[in-house]
Amino acid sequence: MALNGDEEDFEWEPPTEAEMKVIQARRERQDKISKLMGDYLLKGYKMLGECCEVCGTILLQDRQQKNYCVSCQELDSDIDKDNPALNPQAALSQVRERQLASQSPAPSHTPELNESPSSSQGNMSVPQPRPEHCEGAAAGGRTPLPPPAVPSPSAPASTAVLAPTRPSVTPQSSAQRLVLQEAEEAVLTKLRWATNQLQSSASLEASIQLCSLITSCANSLRSLKEVSQ
Amino acid sequence: MPPLEHLHMKNVLQTVGVLEAVILRSFGPEGGQVLFTRDTGQAMLSRSGTRILTALQLEHPLARLCVWKHSTATGDGSKTFILLLASLLRLIHAAASKEPNVSHSYNSTKAAEAATARHLADKLLAFALKELDELIATGVVPYGGRISWEDFTATAQSPSLANNLCVQKLLRSFFHTRFGYTHCDFISHLACELLSYWKFKNELPSFSLQFVSDNFPALHTPVSGFPVCASRLIDGQVIHRDFATPPLKTDHQPVKAVVLTRSLQPTLLNTGDVLEVGCGGRMMEERSIVHFSAWMERSLQGIIANLQTLGVCVLLSAVKQSAAVLALATQAEMCVVECVSEDELSLFVRLSGTIPIWDCSMIEPEHVVTLTFCRPIQLGGHRYVHVAFQDSEERITVKPCSLVICAPGEGQTEQYACALQDAVRMLLRTWEPMHAAVTTTSKRTLQSHKSSSLHTDNLTDRTTYRSSAIQPIHKCVLEPGCVISAGGSFELLLHYALLQHGHSCSVSHDLNIDTSVSQLLANALLSVPQKIYAHSPRHFLETQSKVINSELDLGLESVSCKYQLLLAVLQCVRSLLKVDTVLPTHIALHTQSSRPASTSWEDTEDELLSGYIHLHTHTHTHIVYHAIYKEE
Repeated sequence: MALNGDEEDFEWEPPTEAEMKVIQARRERQDKISKLMGDYLLKGYKMLGECCEVCGTILLQDRQQKNYCVSCQELDSDIDKDNPALNPQAALSQVRERQLASQSPAPSHTPELNESPSSSQGNMSVPQPRPEHCEGAAAGGRTPLPPPAVPSPSAPASTAVLAPTRPSVTPQSSAQRLVLQEAEEAVLTKLRWATNQLQSSASLEASIQLCSLITSCANSLRSLKEVSQ
Repeated sequence: MPPLEHLHMKNVLQTVGVLEAVILRSFGPEGGQVLFTRDTGQAMLSRSGTRILTALQLEHPLARLCVWKHSTATGDGSKTFILLLASLLRLIHAAASKEPNVSHSYNSTKAAEAATARHLADKLLAFALKELDELIATGVVPYGGRISWEDFTATAQSPSLANNLCVQKLLRSFFHTRFGYTHCDFISHLACELLSYWKFKNELPSFSLQFVSDNFPALHTPVSGFPVCASRLIDGQVIHRDFATPPLKTDHQPVKAVVLTRSLQPTLLNTGDVLEVGCGGRMMEERSIVHFSAWMERSLQGIIANLQTLGVCVLLSAVKQSAAVLALATQAEMCVVECVSEDELSLFVRLSGTIPIWDCSMIEPEHVVTLTFCRPIQLGGHRYVHVAFQDSEERITVKPCSLVICAPGEGQTEQYACALQDAVRMLLRTWEPMHAAVTTTSKRTLQSHKSSSLHTDNLTDRTTYRSSAIQPIHKCVLEPGCVISAGGSFELLLHYALLQHGHSCSVSHDLNIDTSVSQLLANALLSVPQKIYAHSPRHFLETQSKVINSELDLGLESVSCKYQLLLAVLQCVRSLLKVDTVLPTHIALHTQSSRPASTSWEDTEDELLSGYIHLHTHTHTHIVYHAIYKEE
């Protein structure tokens, strides 16, 4: 916003409510930063004359000559919150926004998608993914479950869960049905194995892990059934 | 080398915000103490803002500037200084971002904001120098009272006075902020006693206070290892050195003493000199250095004999005397005190009215001073010399006494001594005539504004209240000795006075600038009592009503100290906002590490104002930051 030219009349308007909230949040964040920096100074850290390149906060240096930026390393970043790659919340809000955007044209398209109303409904009826559900599914993909076969059925299940907004409706081909059946069988095998292990297990930790394995197998089965419908 | 950094208001705000966060927890009557520990294991508790801020490791030049400015500004109120600074900067930033100055063309909003902020700071300072003391005199002082110099304790006053104003009460509230409840009564009583002894007859109170403040290091003895209640006053002067020769055996009075500034044994030979031993050109056999030193000793014996005829038995020397002198003095039954520090000697000379001996061959009776006694005194783990002066009406108008400060540890004695010195400085500022306290730069701005107000006076219709601004600069509007109750009343009353002033200005359509400026200042001032009562907003409201009715009894504060503090804050704001760029440089240093911390701050100021890159008093290589001021 260049201020060249005296003829332009810049009238200051009071900020809107959204802007007020942003300003308020920013001010609180600055206060928190100041308080943290003050605590560190009292602990013996040195306040340098340099600023952090990322966020512009003044750098501190501890006794071991290591530089430390309070806002980058301690507080949650101001802008990272909005980055969907780093934050599941941000990813969720992005998903919800896309859903809302696609929901308005969707009702007009339902009569044309009669051949697969169930699939579109299946896509739509996957509930607005709750954060913990989403994170659980994402975590399920990441945690190294002991049987390596389990992640593969859960992976297509999670992709199915995370991509409900894909408007294109894939027709149920026989190849897909075969794959789904194989996946179901593998999951059932694992479920049987886990049940056997659970009956004979003596340690508490192992039992808990087996129970959670059974839960995730059941979830996978449920999603597989939903996909195949 | 790191690149140049342009300073934005955000950085300034952040720096001051951090300093504020540091001292906020120790602020107010409910404030806590900071525990300082050294690598040697020594620990100390303190609530003094000066101590906390100077102990922080700050390399950022703006932070150093803030800390430097406050430590030289006042002996007290350093935490209030930082709080006011922070709130003023925040308000200026808010005001500047609302109305950027569009009269110049700038590259960015930030530059425009910075320019507006600078402009605002200048206007604030001008307003404060021009009108603030009148506002205080009319809006604040009537709610307080005046202490007279004569009354030191409450008992000396007539009981009819409602508010029981006395110096001891003022000192008590001062020490309460430093030490808490435990010892403030005792210490304030001790300080009052000290000051009543050192009252010079027929002199202004500021003279005695200045004297005590200047000579305080020589007037007190710190003793560690005793409880604080063991502190007391001793008659006479304590010289912080032990006798170099055995002290006087017989306590015969009176004792005669002389002050020596040079060694009795003249140093005729320096390193590198060549002595030609002969006798009038004739070469004699067996002339050697032994004869030369024997001749020197004979002259020394002559000097000692001269002193003996004058009846001198104490030699106070500023330098170390040689072994020959000591031996001869012991033989002649004189005692010698060596290496007396300069300020103690000057105090001694001042109190006794004598002249120190410069030329040892000419010793006259006027070099001799008569003392009541001169004996050793054991204070704590050290033995010192205790002297008492004989009363002589034409020479001294005061009864000298020395203060012994006891505390459990060494750090604490230092704290008590500093607190006492700051208390004296605070009293000095309370009684000093106001015009003497104005610095030269502010006098210049005052002059320019007085001339402008003269001009506008002719044009507009003003009340008599305004016309008092035409009077010469030296008129002091604030009378010495004004006090007001503590606990934020000064800030509250000034806040209301400023708001009223703003309203009256806008009503008379006069100098619209003044309205916004006084509004800004008023809002900034309110932050101090808000922080004092942060834990209970109800008390804040109660206090507001009590202050108006003059019912508050939380102790006393000096009005002129508060005024000085406010001026110092505004000047600091202006300096901070004038900084344009920070220039980092690498400097390798190995200068003297014995320089005391106080002078390093003065160097900093010189560097900052003159733009030199000067050496700093540290011993490692590090990055030193210097702020460059923008010329406008």
